[in-house]
Amino acid sequence: MYLPGPGNQIHDLNPTVFPPVGLFWTLEIASDDSHEEEGNDQQTGEWHDGAGVEVDLEEGSALMKASNVPIFDYGDINNALFGGGPTPVPGRVSFKVAWGGAGQRVKVRNTDPTYGGFEGEFVRNTAQMEWTARVGDYNFESDPLLTSSSSFAEIGRERNGSYFE
Amino acid sequence: MNIGAIAAWKVGSASGLPAGLGRLWSAISRRQFVRTAGTAVASFTLGSTLWKPGQAEAKGTFAPVPIPSGTPALGGAYHVFGPAAFDPIDAEPATITNMNGFSGLAYISGMVTQTNTKTGEQQRFPFVNSDMRFMKGHFRGADRRVHEATFALV
Repeated sequence: MYLPGPGNQIHDLNPTVFPPVGLFWTLEIASDDSHEEEGNDQQTGEWHDGAGVEVDLEEGSALMKASNVPIFDYGDINNALFGGGPTPVPGRVSFKVAWGGAGQRVKVRNTDPTYGGFEGEFVRNTAQMEWTARVGDYNFESDPLLTSSSSFAEIGRERNGSYFE
Repeated sequence: MNIGAIAAWKVGSASGLPAGLGRLWSAISRRQFVRTAGTAVASFTLGSTLWKPGQAEAKGTFAPVPIPSGTPALGGAYHVFGPAAFDPIDAEPATITNMNGFSGLAYISGMVTQTNTKTGEQQRFPFVNSDMRFMKGHFRGADRRVHEATFALV
């Protein structure tokens, strides 16, 4: 988040502890394979958060949802990557990200020693997000999903590492 | 993760490396990194049993393996690329290696309302190019076994 303008960055929410030298700001999220919508189960009354990722590559769409993901607010990305700033404040974030729209379909086989080591089929389209967070004394609530926009988005099926020949 | 800030760094740095990176690596050894990270994880109570970075490394099981390289924009120190932002559009979007599955990436902007829960004061801010990704499928973990899971880069 930035001061209006956008001016200086004032919040930077990331899920892992400093420094991010291992798996980069990546964590496992719950996967609800019931494919039920968010809400109370009609029979059990238990709450379904509909968490997880659903992908339809034929359709060119995907949906990622997660609730109460633990994060730290580093204030800005400089502090998140290099430290030296205020102590990160723990919090929780929930989000829904939807990919879709007409897109360009590409096959990528990248053997570049720096950027590559993978192959796959991708759809480059658009994405939108809505999210909420609680950090310290602050609550955050984004505007509805449809009001957001993406500068770049893609979904695909890929193989890398030992699965890449 | 805010992809725009890293992109701005690359543009603003003659060497392509953020100034803080050299300071980081010279000030603290990689071994100290691990110790620091482990301490922080232990002191932060997590609400689920899902795998978390640092947690599984200590157990030696299930932990996914990071991609082997990283963006030159950050000196290669961090295992992530920014396709179509500060790296080529065909750069690796995933952060996990030995993976066979789905991946998704998006840089998303919008508006958010911040509420101070003590004072009730509300302010509106833009979020700019927030980097959101997923990886879903099979992966070979640090234990060399194949697992199935869903991950998010937040």
